[in-house]
Amino acid sequence: MIQEYLVATDTEDALKLKRNKNKSVFYAGGTEINRLHSNVDAKVAISLAKLGLDTITDEGSYIRIGSMVTLQKLVESALVPQWLKDAALFCGSFTRRNMATIGGNLALMSDQSYLAPALLASRCRLLTANLTEGGAYSEDNIPIREYHAYHQQFSGTLILAISLSKDSRYVGTKRFSNSAQNSAAVTVGFGATQNSEQVVDHVRVFAAVHGSSVQRLNAIENAIENGELTTPADVQLAVHQAVAALDDFVGSSAYKRYIASEGLAQLFAEFLKGGVK
Amino acid sequence: MNKISFTVNGKKHTINCEQAESLRSVLVRLGYQSVRDSDDKEGFAGSDTIIYNDVPVYANLMLAQQAEGAEIRTAESLGTSRNLHVVQQAMIDAGVVQSAYNAPAAALLLAWLLEHESNPTQAQIDEVLSGIFIRDTGYEHYYLAVKLAVEKMQSGSYKSEISPTFRENLTYVGKPKGKVDGPQLVAGESSFVEDRVLPGYHTMVLLRSPYAHAYITKIDTSKALAMEGVVSIITHENCPDVFYMQAGQGNPEPSPHDRRLFNRKVRHVGDRVAAIIAETEEQALAARAAIKVEYEILKPIFTVEEAMAEGAPLVHNGVVEYRAGAPADLDQYNKGADPRDGKVIYQFPLHGDIRHNVASAAHGKIGDVEKGFKEADAVVERTYQTSQIQCTPLEPHICYAKIDGGRLVLHASTQVPYHVRRIVAWVCQIPENKIRVIKERVGGGYGSKQDILVEDLVGYATWITGKPILYRNTREEEFVANSTRHPMRVTVKMGAKKDGTITAVYMDVRANTGPYGNHCLTVPMNACSKTLPLLKCDNMKFDVITYYTNIPPTGAYQGYGAPKGTYGLMTCMAELADELGIDYYEMAMKNKVEPGYMLEILKGLGEGREGKVVPVGSCGLDEALTKGAKMIKWGKKEQSDDPDWKIGKGFAMIQQGSGLPGLDHSNAWAKLLTDGTFQIFSGGADLGTGLDTISAKMISEAFCVPMDLVTVTSGDTDSCTFDTGAYASSGTYFSGGASFLAAEDLKKNLLDEAAYQMQEKAEDLILRAPGEVYSTKTGKTLSYAKLSHDALTGTGRGQVMGRASFTTGHNSIPYGAHFVQVAVNVRTGQVKVQKYYALQDAGTPINPELALCQMYGAALKSIGHTLYEEMILDENGVCLNPTLGEYGVPMISEKPEDFQAVLIDINDEVGPYGAKSISEIATNGAAPAIAIAIHDAVGVWMRNWPFSPEKILKELGKI
Repeated sequence: MIQEYLVATDTEDALKLKRNKNKSVFYAGGTEINRLHSNVDAKVAISLAKLGLDTITDEGSYIRIGSMVTLQKLVESALVPQWLKDAALFCGSFTRRNMATIGGNLALMSDQSYLAPALLASRCRLLTANLTEGGAYSEDNIPIREYHAYHQQFSGTLILAISLSKDSRYVGTKRFSNSAQNSAAVTVGFGATQNSEQVVDHVRVFAAVHGSSVQRLNAIENAIENGELTTPADVQLAVHQAVAALDDFVGSSAYKRYIASEGLAQLFAEFLKGGVK
Repeated sequence: MNKISFTVNGKKHTINCEQAESLRSVLVRLGYQSVRDSDDKEGFAGSDTIIYNDVPVYANLMLAQQAEGAEIRTAESLGTSRNLHVVQQAMIDAGVVQSAYNAPAAALLLAWLLEHESNPTQAQIDEVLSGIFIRDTGYEHYYLAVKLAVEKMQSGSYKSEISPTFRENLTYVGKPKGKVDGPQLVAGESSFVEDRVLPGYHTMVLLRSPYAHAYITKIDTSKALAMEGVVSIITHENCPDVFYMQAGQGNPEPSPHDRRLFNRKVRHVGDRVAAIIAETEEQALAARAAIKVEYEILKPIFTVEEAMAEGAPLVHNGVVEYRAGAPADLDQYNKGADPRDGKVIYQFPLHGDIRHNVASAAHGKIGDVEKGFKEADAVVERTYQTSQIQCTPLEPHICYAKIDGGRLVLHASTQVPYHVRRIVAWVCQIPENKIRVIKERVGGGYGSKQDILVEDLVGYATWITGKPILYRNTREEEFVANSTRHPMRVTVKMGAKKDGTITAVYMDVRANTGPYGNHCLTVPMNACSKTLPLLKCDNMKFDVITYYTNIPPTGAYQGYGAPKGTYGLMTCMAELADELGIDYYEMAMKNKVEPGYMLEILKGLGEGREGKVVPVGSCGLDEALTKGAKMIKWGKKEQSDDPDWKIGKGFAMIQQGSGLPGLDHSNAWAKLLTDGTFQIFSGGADLGTGLDTISAKMISEAFCVPMDLVTVTSGDTDSCTFDTGAYASSGTYFSGGASFLAAEDLKKNLLDEAAYQMQEKAEDLILRAPGEVYSTKTGKTLSYAKLSHDALTGTGRGQVMGRASFTTGHNSIPYGAHFVQVAVNVRTGQVKVQKYYALQDAGTPINPELALCQMYGAALKSIGHTLYEEMILDENGVCLNPTLGEYGVPMISEKPEDFQAVLIDINDEVGPYGAKSISEIATNGAAPAIAIAIHDAVGVWMRNWPFSPEKILKELGKI
């Protein structure tokens, strides 16, 4: 439970506060930190509200989305691609979309994340800020897969923005829950490129499975790139075998494996048909 | 403490706040009480919605300190009850302001939408309402509310029809006239229990059992009692040794008295262990943490099958007593009783056998079912399972009690103020004249507030401490320590001839009552008594057995046992039609009852007594079926453009009751005030559904006066007369019936007084607008004001009053049929409800706009039960999903794409102005209609609700 609320004056101030305050957390929309049964264990909230991270800009070859941009702003922006709007709309409540931010949702990297599977599938890059061990301020531009793979090591890192390349790439995402605002059993993201010779490349396959984290299915990615999996049925079978899932109140492991494989197979089929870019 | 400054509704505030204090908390402290809380910061229900720097947000999910410099708007910015915003008025006129706990938040959202979009689309309305949970009215008329508001803003008046009207000869009855308490509710003004709490109150919190089944072997409260601010701690060691029942039913209850305030044995996770009363909530919570409890853990049971098993652990193994009708071998039966289990006291025999976990049982039949099955060309026997469902009222259970003039005064959110008074008197062992119960506006009940779940303890704690005490359930407590729908296993065996004529029906109902026997006989019996009388069949039999287990408590829920019985009976009939290769609709038309048909089956379906055989009276079933079939285009197979989606259609016949003939009793009285206006006192408990409006209309109609010249006082045990309460669909029929008769009595007395004053014969006098007596013989007039004034002078004959009670042995059964079209995705198991048509005969709908909204609300609620909602327990009985979101209530995104409620116009011969009940029946149709539609779409029968995608995929053989 938050016991102290601090407003950072700039990014360096935010990082210093984070480093110096025990059990502190960056505070974006607050929807996860303040909500009932929150998993966020923090006593100090460091507000990012004054850092100017709430804009979406066209930077020529890429779109820059500030980490404090709300999910509703993603939905409303003409610059944001449809797949990311789709992911933002997985948050079924307009009121909550007005509060929750892209950075907050990504930073949690939760199995209930609306955006993580899609963003990971997109191969976007993250603009981050850090303090070195000596306390010097630094910024970095990292691939999102790194942020996912080494998530624990980024606990002191502040996401400044998400950088979406304008290069042609298919990205699709699906969420499976009993009702729109019920917990998701599975949210999947699939991304890939296909050149003029029909070569499939840069495949990304992610599944956020309730109770089993956000999973990257590397073997599936490689098999698709290597031409070992060429049809949706191939992908479905492979995902079913690869994805980790547990029985819990949201669904059985069998259901989660099935629906993750079905969802990814549908996205792969859409990709093969030349679906949404 | 931090000092923050912000603007609310244009007014600047500077206030100190705690570091962790939510913005909602600060706003409420500042007096903005419309910013309510339904979900304990889940960020789901939207009762806490505000406009923050021109953006809708949840105030409970924000820290107050975030609001530095912010511009905030709350519902108070829109208008007051005497000067409503156009949106607030439109919401009342459209009928969506009913239980209304979050109506102010909805009004704020819609007003904000109209500021940004002058003529919003349905999609835009869907979007802004996506963050607000509407349980009572099912969203549909919110589109109408917006449309009305737009029309009013554009042209100064409404152009659209609000609802159909009924009975052209009447002025108020059958016409949409708005709800009398609508303005205060939609404006967010003081209405609910929480709004009545005065400074200086004490807080009560409960320590609850972490185990599903255990004896408390030791409880040490000494450290907690010594803590600062702690006033009292009540446990099984110091509570009264009084056994009672929390079900608010007629006395004597057809439910066993099987609990005390606290028991030595805990019987479910969340059962009461101790109540801590302290000066502040923080002190109470700290003291709770200091209580040490030791348990002897027992093996729990959770299902009917486990309860039935040979040698199963016994949930109740105490002494059994009977207040009447004790069996001769009772002493022998009690020889093995364990005193630690307390007692089970039956008011009269319910055929229970607690040594086998049986809380109650009932059996009955007409004709010869075995002979009927032999005569059949096909017989099917199927079992249907239903899950545990929560009522989820937006306003949690709450009670505020105080001592005033030496009496115990309870402000309650209840459907049964007189049962509250009786049961609290019994628990406290004080006479009823020492207790006053004031029913406040009820922010959603749906049956769960028919049970006395918090008033018993708050009343007792206040009585012994003398302190004003507030208690309010958390949302989690609403799930684990509250009334829920009994899980049931319904087996139906049905036989029919080749032409579809049903020859025999047998229903075997096994119900799970959980730890205590609230409604243990009557809810399961309703699975038969509100379903079998739909069928014209000479051979019918039923067995109903209810078992104790260790799941969270069950009790009353809108529809009672009927939704489960209807699910079993109608789906089985469709399965039989499928087996016979005939059309289910033709089979329904062939076997449905018709006016005049004698309902012999009712003889065995009384609630703890012999039922009365009556003929079918007013009945709109045929019209509902015929019209519904036409609307849905029954028989036409629809195809989707997407091969993954298969489309199917289904329907169900439904019925309910209008109160309990021979059991329910309502009273009302009314008086003419000194200026010629009126006041009516109804014993009925308006739980948001418009009962007070019905009482007002009874006076307005009788005396030809506008409704704003009529004041309704209800639900106050001091000023009103007895009423059994708002349950079993009794409100309009019984309480409204009493108000009708009281108005008629007042009219007779007023005419007598007028005849005296005017020196005329009463039979020559009529009442006419705008509120006067008119002589058809002499043309003389006498205003009500002058009549009343003269009656109350020093030579007058006294105040003109009227009083009445209403009882009846007549069954005015509402009938209907719900039709549905679904699309089922064969790859994902998802179900979309594309069309839902609810057609119902409510007799004369006195408040037609409210009736329609209640039909939408009940239908969407039952769609939720059918497809999404389920309390899930782990192997230890811990509820794993005790939040609104994880439990799975339907929101606007789950609303059917084409949703229509249709009132079938049938006049009843007994109800007030021909009215019958309306809303409970609407929960009965969804499960069977959707099950049948899913079968029509993809060929699988869903026999276990909720029909989740996972279950559908299993039936399809995908997993």
